[in-house]
Amino acid sequence: MERVCERDVAAFEAIYDSYHRLVHGIALKMLQDTMAAEDLTQTVFLKLWSTPSAFAGGNFGAWISRVARNRALDVLRSRALRAEGELPLDVPLLEALDETVFATLDGEHVRSALASLPDDQRRPIELGFFGGVTHEEIARRTATPLGTVKTRIRAGLRKLRSSLETRVVS
Amino acid sequence: MNAHDEVLESVALLALGTLPENEARSVAEHARTCPECRAEYAALRAAADALGYSAELAPGELDQVSAARLKANVMRAVRAGQSSPIPRPDFAFPARTPARRVALWLPYLAAAVALVFAALSWANVASLRSENDRWARQVAELRSSVQSDAVLQERLAAITAPASQHYPVPAGEVVTSGGRVYLALKVGALAPGKVYQAWTLRTGAHAVTPSLTFASEPGVTLVELPEPASGLAAVAVSVEPAGGSKLPTSKPAFIRTLS
Repeated sequence: MERVCERDVAAFEAIYDSYHRLVHGIALKMLQDTMAAEDLTQTVFLKLWSTPSAFAGGNFGAWISRVARNRALDVLRSRALRAEGELPLDVPLLEALDETVFATLDGEHVRSALASLPDDQRRPIELGFFGGVTHEEIARRTATPLGTVKTRIRAGLRKLRSSLETRVVS
Repeated sequence: MNAHDEVLESVALLALGTLPENEARSVAEHARTCPECRAEYAALRAAADALGYSAELAPGELDQVSAARLKANVMRAVRAGQSSPIPRPDFAFPARTPARRVALWLPYLAAAVALVFAALSWANVASLRSENDRWARQVAELRSSVQSDAVLQERLAAITAPASQHYPVPAGEVVTSGGRVYLALKVGALAPGKVYQAWTLRTGAHAVTPSLTFASEPGVTLVELPEPASGLAAVAVSVEPAGGSKLPTSKPAFIRTLS
């Protein structure tokens, strides 16, 4: 990223090659629209090129995933014509992300960890992350008590974290 | 379950990004001062952020043609903005030009350069797809109207050639192809006594040069500038009195740097 900050096109292209499938995949999964996903992918990478300093360090994959998700949430919000505050707020990280989790991540790796969760934990987590809805909405859509949704999301995230760490160690 | 367990559950929701804004602020505030919640947030946020990878497309899942086109679009935009510093046209007019007119143009020239950057900004990234779609519509329109005109057919072939370079402007595109410069614009009819006039600036030149004048055509107007593309730094179009002007007398409809 330092080289991108120095306007190195080759460095930018290498980053594009490494991460475009991640950004595109998130966009496609959230927007369910091929053209909108392509637009979002372009937007994210051009944003990266125009303001590389927005990346303040840490794990690049995690950062660009978050950027893609937030941008997709904006699109979903505009589609639903929801009030600005209705969708979740992205709170800045309190601490640097744990590199243990991200050391060897790839799509297959995370899909496998996610698939190992019980359905009642995996589903609200996926709805929350990719659907961009609040836990209240998840409770409503899944006809589950709010407290139960919260408990399942926490348990699922802990299990997911543990599963990812285990794979890193093994 | 004690009260703090409930807070920890909210921390998990915060990490996943499913708390409404007001609750998110309050939980984040608490987590900043509570070591247990801070540790929980860091651990679960890492897991939540990893979720994005579950959507990562495998190489075979992406249509190769679309992927190549997408990358080409991104890299084209990057390279267009990469010529940093973008040659800033040192537009000035011949010595006999009144200084007032220089001042008239300068803000637009600055705006032209700014537009190149603005095209890459988050808020102003004009969708390349939209430009492509608009371009496709204009080409289709031209195709249907030039069948009986050999000159226009030749120009159309030039601007759609694979090696042509396209520079979008508000009303269409400036295209360079085969060493020539073309304007493909969808512009309205002017009042009697007025024409469109193109202006060019050569690299390193200190004065704009008047180029051809033209009237709008129904649909898309396609003209070829007499100046060769090589060494051109920018092209502009303004509305001028019939017969053209030696110097621009009105705000340009656009100024496009060719970089």
